[in-house]
Amino acid sequence: MARTVTLPASLDEAVAALSAMPAAVPVAGGTDLMASVNSGLLRPAGLIGLGRVNELRGWQYQDGHALLGACLTHARMGRPDFAALIPGLAAAARAAGPPQVRNAGTLGGNIVTAAPTGDALPVLAALEATVLLLGPEGAREVPVSHLLTGMDPLRPGELLTHVRVPLLHAPQTFLKATGRTGPGRATASVCVVLDPARRGVRCAVGAVAPMPLRPLEAEAWVASLVDWDGERKLDPEACTAFGEYVAEACIPAPAPDDGSAESGTLSAAVVHLRRTVAALARRALGRALA
Amino acid sequence: MTTGPDATTVAPSGGTPVGPAGAQEAPAPFGLGASLMPEDASAKTQGTFPYAADLWAEGLLWAAVLRSPHPHARIVSVDTSAAEAMAGVCSVVTHDDVPGDPMHGRRVADRPVFAKDVVRHHGEPIAAVAADHPDTARLAAAAIAVEYEVLEPVTDPEKAFNEPPLHPDGNLVRYIPLRFGDAGAVGEVVVDGLYRIGRQDPAPIGAEAGLAVPRPDGGVELYVASTDPHADRDLAAACYGLEPERVRVVVTGVPGATGDREDPGTTIPLGLLALRTGRPVKYVATREESFLSHAHRHPTLLRYRHHADSEGRLVKVEAQILLDAGAYADTSAEALAAAVSFAAGPYVVPHVFVEGWAVRTNNPPSGHVRGEGAMQVCAAYEGQMDKLAAKLGLDPVELRMRNVMATGDLLPTGQAVTCPAPVGELLKAVRDEPLPALPLDTPESEWLLPGGLEGAGEPGAVRRGVGYALGMVHMLGAEGADEVSTATVRVHDGEASVICAAVDTGQGFATLARQIVQEVLGVETVHVLPVDSDQPPAGPSARGRHTWVSGGAVERAAKMVRTQLLQPLAAKFGMSAELLTIADGKITSYDGVLSTTVAEEVAGKELWATAQCRPHPTEPLNDSGQGDAFVGLAFAAIRAVVDVDIEMGSIRVVEMAVAQDVGRVLNPRRLRARIEAGVTQGVGMALMENLRTSRGLVKRPDLTGYSLPTALDAPDVRVVKLIEERDVVASFGAKAASAVPVVTSPAAVAAAVRAATGRPVNRLPIRPQSAVAAPGPQG
Repeated sequence: MARTVTLPASLDEAVAALSAMPAAVPVAGGTDLMASVNSGLLRPAGLIGLGRVNELRGWQYQDGHALLGACLTHARMGRPDFAALIPGLAAAARAAGPPQVRNAGTLGGNIVTAAPTGDALPVLAALEATVLLLGPEGAREVPVSHLLTGMDPLRPGELLTHVRVPLLHAPQTFLKATGRTGPGRATASVCVVLDPARRGVRCAVGAVAPMPLRPLEAEAWVASLVDWDGERKLDPEACTAFGEYVAEACIPAPAPDDGSAESGTLSAAVVHLRRTVAALARRALGRALA
Repeated sequence: MTTGPDATTVAPSGGTPVGPAGAQEAPAPFGLGASLMPEDASAKTQGTFPYAADLWAEGLLWAAVLRSPHPHARIVSVDTSAAEAMAGVCSVVTHDDVPGDPMHGRRVADRPVFAKDVVRHHGEPIAAVAADHPDTARLAAAAIAVEYEVLEPVTDPEKAFNEPPLHPDGNLVRYIPLRFGDAGAVGEVVVDGLYRIGRQDPAPIGAEAGLAVPRPDGGVELYVASTDPHADRDLAAACYGLEPERVRVVVTGVPGATGDREDPGTTIPLGLLALRTGRPVKYVATREESFLSHAHRHPTLLRYRHHADSEGRLVKVEAQILLDAGAYADTSAEALAAAVSFAAGPYVVPHVFVEGWAVRTNNPPSGHVRGEGAMQVCAAYEGQMDKLAAKLGLDPVELRMRNVMATGDLLPTGQAVTCPAPVGELLKAVRDEPLPALPLDTPESEWLLPGGLEGAGEPGAVRRGVGYALGMVHMLGAEGADEVSTATVRVHDGEASVICAAVDTGQGFATLARQIVQEVLGVETVHVLPVDSDQPPAGPSARGRHTWVSGGAVERAAKMVRTQLLQPLAAKFGMSAELLTIADGKITSYDGVLSTTVAEEVAGKELWATAQCRPHPTEPLNDSGQGDAFVGLAFAAIRAVVDVDIEMGSIRVVEMAVAQDVGRVLNPRRLRARIEAGVTQGVGMALMENLRTSRGLVKRPDLTGYSLPTALDAPDVRVVKLIEERDVVASFGAKAASAVPVVTSPAAVAAAVRAATGRPVNRLPIRPQSAVAAPGPQG
């Protein structure tokens, strides 16, 4: 087990503790981290418990954005007041696992763990959220997608403190397929976000790739069809076409590497995944525009 | 307080004179037919009940087991020196340290305690370590250097026939060719089908654990949640080279058992470490080890051809059944016998030809899991019945009604069904039950869609399906298994106690034993003593045995005590003891002259008796699968109602309506709980439970990778009808109730998904891609 466990009472203390021991691992809800520790996959040199750092828990408003603390739990994000603010993130939080996990698991943990099935991740990608990192060399702000793709990873001693999310005042939907009725990990998830100010539709697909995918062409195409000044309605056919566009873009046909494979024939699993993503994207768009 | 149907069934057999007790307030009901609660229910729900993992002994050591990371490999060398040199390590044992028989096995001794030259499945034990800390033990186990020569695993049971033998006993564990009737018979309508059943894991709520304590006489005591303490003792003693009397298996609380519990591959090394170190040794398996080590349900491949006449009456059933036994035989021979014997289901079929094989592979080991063999064939023959109904244009229920079996019909094994077999009545009961209401597609209606509370379900894409299935299982060991149980009942200080080595695995035997003694002796306070292997054997807790065999033994012993109690009284009044009745805590004579209380009569006395129960013997199936192999049969009919999101293929089971042949209701609340548990396990098999492997390696052996039904996945279970037609040969006329819902539910869910989607659904668990359908009118 970890040799040192620190329980800082403030953000400054937490950053100082992490700078002093960059090999230590910050722990908030621990729903992913402690499972790795218990199964012996991770033997952290030290743990920094973030449970007492009050600055990381709530949220505040900042020029059209919400600044969400990294230790916001899924249970908190699922509540109606938060749902009125960022409905997509609230829906993802409510869909994330059983109540025990939602009570403990946090937004920051979801980002740092960066599991492909992390439910908050496609929502953050669609919202084009940014994360605030605080480290020994000061604070910096990085788009969440840069962090997830590894373009701009966490540096040693850096702590993810906040997530900056634009407040769009428009419908957002998050839908998830798990293959069961009870709580489960996503086999595919789709988030659709409307941005009326910029006349944009943004979409991200989770769980089908190591990080959330954005079908940019499909987004631009469908945004051009929406009557932004009117009722914002779309034909069902257009929604269906959008779903298929998204599925095609996010789940490419496997490369014909073995020579004999004729292009065009997909394995049953790929066909089903595409069908699932298409249905999710169609439903998500339909519900966002309804 | 009234409890269900017990008003009529609670009366003891024989005319009960109704005493002048009408005006008294009703005492808390006890005896048979009452919903008695288990004595340990409150401790278990509050978490204070000590399971094996909670036990402690002064100076104990911790054990860890080194398991094979390969499904098939030759062991070139095992070097334990690094592990032995570690501080805190007390003992390391391998194959060379087993003093007695190096092989063990529940039916055939074909499994090594530790792999010697070759490993045959992922997770097979190779060595065990005892150390002063669990982490030290695990690190030491990891420090044992094993050099493997990895071999190609045999994972396809169809290829096992032609592969070089994986084991000196060969790759074929058992072959049964069942021939019944005329091979040349053909029907006017023929349907074929190929069915695949996945690998269900018993997934007990508590993983395997145990404590071994050395005895001063050189023996050892094993505190484990065994479901068959005498068999486990004998296995362990043989491996230690000790007389069975010097090994004592003490049964701790059982944290969930739907199969044989406590993998001997772990308990035997545990005792061995205690014997070598002379100190208590404790072991608690991780969830991963639990998945890797214990036996699973047999993955099965079934090929069927049903022949029927134009009226839908079955003419002939042909089937080939292939069970994947994994690396060792375990109970595969018995599972195969059940699969072959019940291959045609509870239907009258004049001509049945079945070939069944159980073969060895390098897949995870298979063994006894509730309803083994019977569950796999039920999914297949019911799939065939649906196919036949579709081909004939008949209603699936009508087709089944035309073929149902009744008492007096023959099984394909040639055995006549002598017990009550109210199959048609069961099917009628579920058919006539009103269907659950369709939810209204309005924003206010609370409709749990497939996909869950925050899921992606869309009412417009949801189709509802209704499916039916009939299932059957045998009770007790089959094919000449010696079924015997011994029980002692003792009355002292006004209280009664029961000594019987039948393990209460959660099936409620301890509660039942209390009810039996209450019923026979009228003593309300009854204790059931903890079980250990020093008591006379009662056999395994499996196949609904204990209600019948051990319950019968308890009843006999209680009746002998009753005679001892009543004889002097009767003599005093010059009448025979048979004329005295015990009811409501009072002893009364037929003429009302004598009336005294039980409490008064037993005060200061000590009475005891021991009795055995041995049901009538059975015989093994012969070379053509014929023989009177089964003692008793139980039946159920289940109607499943499912909602399927046909675009995503997600399925929610809305309701399961169960009608079951139970013989007699002994404890209504426990019975309901058993049916609900069985149905839920069956729904898990139908929708999600499958321990997946890749080239013999278990993928994700944890509860994230292996999903179990949660409260949201579990359907409403409606017990529509319990048919109480007493089985005259069974103790109390009661039939075992736990297994048959497990057997029948998966087939019912598959039938309902078939009805909702029009897809064939021939694989369990049902994958989402098999449950998608083209949108359009429901058909």
